[in-house]
Amino acid sequence: MTIETRRAALAAALTVAVVMWAAPARAHHSFGAEYDSNQPVTVKGVVTKIEWTNPHSFIYLDVVDAAGQTVNWKLEGYPPNVLYRTGWKRDVTMKVGDTVTVFAWRARLGGPLAHSREVTFADGSKLFFGPPAGTGDGGAAPAVKVP
Amino acid sequence: MRATFFVALAVAASSIAALAQAPAGVPRGADGKPDFTGVWQGSSVRPGKWEDANNGLGVGGTGKDPTAPPSLGSQQVITEPAPYQPWAAAKVLESYNKRGIDDPAALCLPPGVPRLVMVSLFPIEIVQTPKRIVFMYEYMNVFRSIPIGEPHPPDIAPAYLGDSVARWEGNTLVVDVVGFNDKTWLTGTGTFHSEDLHLVERYTRVSKDRIDFEATIDDPKVLTKPWTIRTAMMLREGTRVQEYVCAENNQDPGQYERLLKEGVGFRR
Repeated sequence: MTIETRRAALAAALTVAVVMWAAPARAHHSFGAEYDSNQPVTVKGVVTKIEWTNPHSFIYLDVVDAAGQTVNWKLEGYPPNVLYRTGWKRDVTMKVGDTVTVFAWRARLGGPLAHSREVTFADGSKLFFGPPAGTGDGGAAPAVKVP
Repeated sequence: MRATFFVALAVAASSIAALAQAPAGVPRGADGKPDFTGVWQGSSVRPGKWEDANNGLGVGGTGKDPTAPPSLGSQQVITEPAPYQPWAAAKVLESYNKRGIDDPAALCLPPGVPRLVMVSLFPIEIVQTPKRIVFMYEYMNVFRSIPIGEPHPPDIAPAYLGDSVARWEGNTLVVDVVGFNDKTWLTGTGTFHSEDLHLVERYTRVSKDRIDFEATIDDPKVLTKPWTIRTAMMLREGTRVQEYVCAENNQDPGQYERLLKEGVGFRR
């Protein structure tokens, strides 16, 4: 390891250290309070409704459970502007009646409610509909030093 | 971790690149000063169009790709922890432990400054003339119309985004902000402040694509010393700032109330 590469490695390590301090508010507000990052879930079903609304959008999905019952899941996600900027087209990319698979995290309140992340379409292509787990809940460390 | 390391390398490399870049690539206004006019993304160091700069981050969190950064915010560089007084630090920590359920933005209220500059999901449009610079934020659809070379008025009423005036220091636009109410967060969960908040923002367009941003936050009522935050804003050609009506369908505060009322464990 040359002095230069060692210096670069040290600089990078220091940068990692400062990056860890605090993540800024990324989404509208805390997904982390409402949804549990320890409860990932993948649901496949037929789209019954899409709400392209602020501050967050919602996908409603008819999912047949293990007992053969159809349950309507509600999946929260990014607002429309964020979706449009990353490749979504309203009434084109995903329509009522389409069968999709959604990777999500379940609500702490239980029930067929989750915060979406990745949507997989019938042709296998994928797009994000919602933010990563824990978004908006303060990140890995608080902004202050813990005494 | 590997992804964080990669992002850190990118931050370090791009900072060096930014320093080395000739200011010749920076557009200038009629007054010869750097012209910030354009649509920008805060808390980013990735060049390119919006879609390209914001894809390929993986699922993140406890998702399918655990090496993916938890959010785009990993690209932000906060150089030091917030120097809150002990009683105030305890209050910030309490918000953090409550996972930000008390976020004023959850009620669709204007986020504070510099928080607005740190939000990377939504673009910011800057329009500049020799006498004025206007920041239009898509997030919450708020704006700051800032005179250049004028003092603060004597009669400032406390406001969410305060009262801003700008001046030039060489090629850096320095924005002085006072007259805040105490209803916003600075950046990060729970980072409250008092009405005595005095903010100095420094915007330096170091290349065609990048503005280096620094904010020095002073608030003797809650901090032990000024707190400095640094990040960058990246030019997003082709992106348009659009309408964002937060109050349209805000269901989350209702869910928060249920969490609290039904005693569902959500605290760290």
